[in-house]
Amino acid sequence: MIAIMKRDLRSFFTSPIGYVFLAVFLLVSNYFFFGYNVSGGASSLSYVFSSMLLILVFLIPLVTMRLMSEEMKQRTDQMLLTAPVRVIDIVLGKYLAAMMVFVIALACTLIWPLIVTMFGDPAVFDIVGNYVAMFLLIGCLVSVGLFISSLTESQIIAAIFSFVAMLALFMFSSIASAVDNVVVSAVLNWLSVFSRYSSFTAGVFSLADIVYYLSVSVVFLFLTARVIEKKRWA
Amino acid sequence: MIEVSGLTKYYGNKKAVEDLNFTISSGEVVGFLGPNGAGKSTTMNILTGYLSATSGTAKIDGMDILDDPIEAKRHIGYMPEQPPLYLDMTVEEYLNFAAELKGVKSSSKRKHIAEICENVSITHVKGRVIKNLSKGYKQRVGLAMALIGDPDTLILDEPTVGLDPIQIIEIRNVIKELGRQRTVVLSSHILSEVQAICERVLVINNGTIVANDTPEKLSANISGEHKMNVQIAGPQSSVMSVLRSVDGMTSVALRRDNEDGTANFVIESDPNVDIRKPMFFALAKAGYPILSLQPLDMSLEDIFLRLTVEEDTASRGARKKVAK
Ligand SMILES: Nc1ncnc2c1ncn2[C@@H]1O[C@H](COP(=O)(O)OP(=O)(O)O)[C@@H](O)[C@H]1O
Ligand SMILES: [Mg+2]
Repeated sequence: MIAIMKRDLRSFFTSPIGYVFLAVFLLVSNYFFFGYNVSGGASSLSYVFSSMLLILVFLIPLVTMRLMSEEMKQRTDQMLLTAPVRVIDIVLGKYLAAMMVFVIALACTLIWPLIVTMFGDPAVFDIVGNYVAMFLLIGCLVSVGLFISSLTESQIIAAIFSFVAMLALFMFSSIASAVDNVVVSAVLNWLSVFSRYSSFTAGVFSLADIVYYLSVSVVFLFLTARVIEKKRWA
Repeated sequence: MIEVSGLTKYYGNKKAVEDLNFTISSGEVVGFLGPNGAGKSTTMNILTGYLSATSGTAKIDGMDILDDPIEAKRHIGYMPEQPPLYLDMTVEEYLNFAAELKGVKSSSKRKHIAEICENVSITHVKGRVIKNLSKGYKQRVGLAMALIGDPDTLILDEPTVGLDPIQIIEIRNVIKELGRQRTVVLSSHILSEVQAICERVLVINNGTIVANDTPEKLSANISGEHKMNVQIAGPQSSVMSVLRSVDGMTSVALRRDNEDGTANFVIESDPNVDIRKPMFFALAKAGYPILSLQPLDMSLEDIFLRLTVEEDTASRGARKKVAK
């Protein structure tokens, strides 16, 4: 699991995609930070973080598209699947690698809390809430991306489908508030991994939301393992 | 030790292998020989746990690959048909990853990798990125990966395919050397290849095992000249006595009386003797003409016809390259 995580992480940052990813992430997020917090003078990080949600729709597929697809394309999955490791460990290794990419990216933003505390008086729950929520949300989306990547040998197809999935999840929350029908609206809201985000930043650490995020991640990791196992029976 | 029983694999509705039964003892070097599409890779993928059989079982050192996959896989080093290489890594990084993946202790890892690199002669390319290596070296890196973790069973799928003649000879020698302390199963569609390396050959065709023997005995079978169906004109009993008198003949049996003054006989001869010429002269002298002469075991013959054709083109190509 650790071996796979290390290899994937390394492979991500030795390819151009790694740099494109970091560059886009840091440029866009700092652009928002400067806009809202530096020039705008806001002390809350919520504006930046909620603006970043849309970037995730683009960035998650960039990180997850190759995870399984490339292994299948290059036939290196034969090495992983005939090694004395469990399929779930392979899946977890890949998941952790993708999560580490975002941890690194988010670590680069830790200067923000410093800046806002130096020049303002932000609420602690605002900072902590945003980071925790962002992390949980990313965990969720990465598991969906990883799952999609296990379905196809082509990383381009994986990227496109992941993008569509992210976009759909993103839009569910907006659609949900626009729909009149209570049931449809409730379903969409439930599906919307993004809408739960806002409660965290309000400082409400709702157990239900945490459980929701974690369980969606677990479900998709489990499904990914199932898809890989299933291939053996093809 | 590998024990396979009743192994069958369907891809959807398409049968790939059917009811394979064989045992490979510890320390044996065994070849799977068969034309392309025979089911060699499928069998190997099942043995290594990459694919699951539709029915039947495969055991490695007594452990079922389905029930006890982790333990069974610890005993196997597998080099698939296309070596599973991460092209963006250096050889050393790749082998390090393989060692970590297979749970080699980090204290002995460096030494272990260094030894393997020596064994397959890749020490001098350790720092190179795999993408830039020649086909022969990629194959060796694949072999090195299979050797990581010091498994007692090596499964090598077409280890020499796509290599030039010199590389082929080199990798054969490496495999022979490895086979001294290990069980080795390799596949090939080239007859001379398994003859050069293996102690025993399983011939696979259309997903079933059609022969299981030493290369020497197989060659005898293949030459097809020690067991033949021969049609001869003349009185049966005298024909038979003439046949029996030929040097090297081991058995003569009447197969069919054609009721037109001719009969078919099944003759068997000493495998080391080409019986055809002396038989011809003996019968000619007695005045009993041979009307037809067919080697028996046609199915095996057919398979080998396909094999040897491929072998011929391969070795001819090889010779051409050497000439250059
Ligand atoms: N993934 C697959 N899906 C469907 N059919 C397959 C697949 N892999 C192999 N086959 C078929 O199974 C048969 C055996 O293939 P294989 O084991 O690769 O043979 P070999 O290695 O002896 O050339 C062939 O007819 C091949 O077309
Ligand atoms: Mg094959």
